[in-house]
Amino acid sequence: MNLNHSLNKPFSKFHKWLLGGFLGLSFLGFLDASYLAAEHYLGIPLTCVVFSGCEKVLDSEYSAIFGVPIALFGAGYYAAIFVLAAAFLETRRRMFLNAAAFLPLAGSVVSLFLVYLQIFVLKALCQYCLISAFITFALLGIACAFLFSGRQLKQDAPESV
Amino acid sequence: MEEQLNRKEERKERKMRGNFARKGLLWGGVFALFGAGAWAMVGLVPEAPALEPGADIPAVVLEDHAWGLETASVTLVEYGDFQCPACGSYFPVIQRLKEGFPDSLRIVFRQFPLRGIHPFADVSARASEAAALQGKFWEMHDMLFERQREWTADGDVRARLAEYAEELGLDTARFSEDLDSPGVRDKVERDTLGGNAAKVQGTPTFFLQGKRIQNPRSYDEFKSLVEQAIQQIP
Repeated sequence: MNLNHSLNKPFSKFHKWLLGGFLGLSFLGFLDASYLAAEHYLGIPLTCVVFSGCEKVLDSEYSAIFGVPIALFGAGYYAAIFVLAAAFLETRRRMFLNAAAFLPLAGSVVSLFLVYLQIFVLKALCQYCLISAFITFALLGIACAFLFSGRQLKQDAPESV
Repeated sequence: MEEQLNRKEERKERKMRGNFARKGLLWGGVFALFGAGAWAMVGLVPEAPALEPGADIPAVVLEDHAWGLETASVTLVEYGDFQCPACGSYFPVIQRLKEGFPDSLRIVFRQFPLRGIHPFADVSARASEAAALQGKFWEMHDMLFERQREWTADGDVRARLAEYAEELGLDTARFSEDLDSPGVRDKVERDTLGGNAAKVQGTPTFFLQGKRIQNPRSYDEFKSLVEQAIQQIP
């Protein structure tokens, strides 16, 4: 009755570290993004400060899509990555791993664009946004390392009954 | 035979139930972790403001632009920059405070143009001072904040400011002259130096009864701070 025999082998130490890092980083990303989203909604006191980085970025027209702050999408994105990685750990289905690896790929493209906006359009940097971009790149790196290093993951579990 | 089958079924069921419990625990844990994380982040966003001791600010003097009665028990000083969007967003809040405390609150506006980030901060500060020389500081103050989006996006800001002066019924020739006069420049500079001495670093920065307050997040928060200050008057 056990369907996932091919993937049920215990993970190597290397893969355990990768998975742990993946889960940890995606949770950190979630915290970072939720902080930014909370700041958006709680309407933290606005101040104009010389050398303001975050305010300029977070108050810019690029900070929200249809009134929804990008940070909120970011929080959902990191939560989804975490859940997919956890689902992979639980079920060992390659499908979840692929999805968990694809999201940081898409996220990296978005992050690159947002960093570009900060540097070249707004000419202001927001550290929390940069942390998020860094986390996404790291997640992509880990996902690639995982996908391209594990022979034990080469074939998917047979979907037989 | 049948008994054996039943037992097998039972075992399978127990195992499944155990599995469900494990899964429930796992996903419940994940859910709780994220809930707690989000809650903690919301908590990290700075809390409601309170009166806090800060550096001394220069006393209110005759040359200050003060709104309200001289007998008012509580004084609020704002260090502001007309081009600062944050000051613009506090403008309606301050207007409501004026309505809410017509007798007990005096509001003082001091210039603190952030010239480094706002190219029109200085000229707009001078425009309000030039209007003040004709007795219409608050009229110009209100107009600059109400139309902040308009003149800050304008190529020819001086022409726009002259238009405002005309609309307010000022002597525009005199206004234009005063705009660049040393007296007006000095007034803006004196305010800014006073702000620097009081460790003002951004705008708007508010001082209630000479004490610096964290910027309230809403009118209600601001109102309760003012009420608190009024109650503290012996």
